[in-house]
Amino acid sequence: MNDFSELENDLKALRPARHSPVLFERIEEAMAEDRRTSTAANDQPFSKSVWRRFMENPFRFGVGLAAAAAAIVLLLARTNIDQTRNDDKEIAQVSPLSQTNPALPAFSARSGVDGSTSSNKFVPSGATQVVYNTRNEGLQFADGSKQPLRRLRYHTQQTWQWRNPSTGASLRVSYPSEEVVLIPVSGQ
Amino acid sequence: MHNVASHEDWKSCFSEIGPGLLLFARQWTRSAADAEDIVQEAFVKFWRRNHEINNRALLYATVRSIALDFIRRDKRRARREATVLADADPAIEPQFEWEDESQSALAAAVSCLPQDQREVLVLKIWNELTFNEIAGALGISQNTAASRYRYALVNLKKSLQPQ
Repeated sequence: MNDFSELENDLKALRPARHSPVLFERIEEAMAEDRRTSTAANDQPFSKSVWRRFMENPFRFGVGLAAAAAAIVLLLARTNIDQTRNDDKEIAQVSPLSQTNPALPAFSARSGVDGSTSSNKFVPSGATQVVYNTRNEGLQFADGSKQPLRRLRYHTQQTWQWRNPSTGASLRVSYPSEEVVLIPVSGQ
Repeated sequence: MHNVASHEDWKSCFSEIGPGLLLFARQWTRSAADAEDIVQEAFVKFWRRNHEINNRALLYATVRSIALDFIRRDKRRARREATVLADADPAIEPQFEWEDESQSALAAAVSCLPQDQREVLVLKIWNELTFNEIAGALGISQNTAASRYRYALVNLKKSLQPQ
């Protein structure tokens, strides 16, 4: 049935070379070290272990942060829409009485830019971009170009901040980003 | 079912699978020491993630993945080693323990097989994986694994026939 059974038996009789006896000790040591490291990581305060995990895989956190940022934006948008509806209602009631300046309060509250009476006004208060990794991906030629370009990939963490001057509340959105820059390389 | 993490006597477990794992890792390395480094890293990684030792396909896939990373990391060193080892006596670091001339010839024939056939043969004969497990470990279909195994045996038979 099997033409190769004899050959297979010969192969099975051939024993692989034994590993060095030191390998056992090395694995044991590596396992003990790994156990120590994981115990130490568990003993760390929450912020440290979160930071450690972030450093191990920032992009996993990036997805979470992006989701959180999207949720905040949606929440704000919803709040603004609700506010706008209320304002519209007020305008509809007020406008027959005040013919002189009906649109100003609505604009201020709705846009959140100018209304000193609005509590929903958030003004930009800061933006940072931290480059935490740069990778040189070598030289390449762009389409139709005879000059080589060096391709650099930056991994950054961008943070945007807004502040409400009247209430002191602040809003911060932070997310990882990736940027590829092509730098022309001269032959000189 | 038991896993490496909860397995008190992992040494007996490793004694059982160690030589086969090492032989598998040797497919990509020029020296036994490098293969031992790869096996150590893979075994500890496997243990750390609390995988079941019965999931052999995953264990061998881990060895393979670490071995391929090793090659990429040390391309320059591998080239240097290749140049040195090309002139060296291949019997300095044998992959098998042979007892007579016929076994020596068989071991040499195995090492001359194409890479894709040799890794299937190593997993099948000395690690006793099923074709299904081999397919899982190498990321190929079960039929491909079976046909590579058959080609390996055909090639071995051919090379062992007296001229």
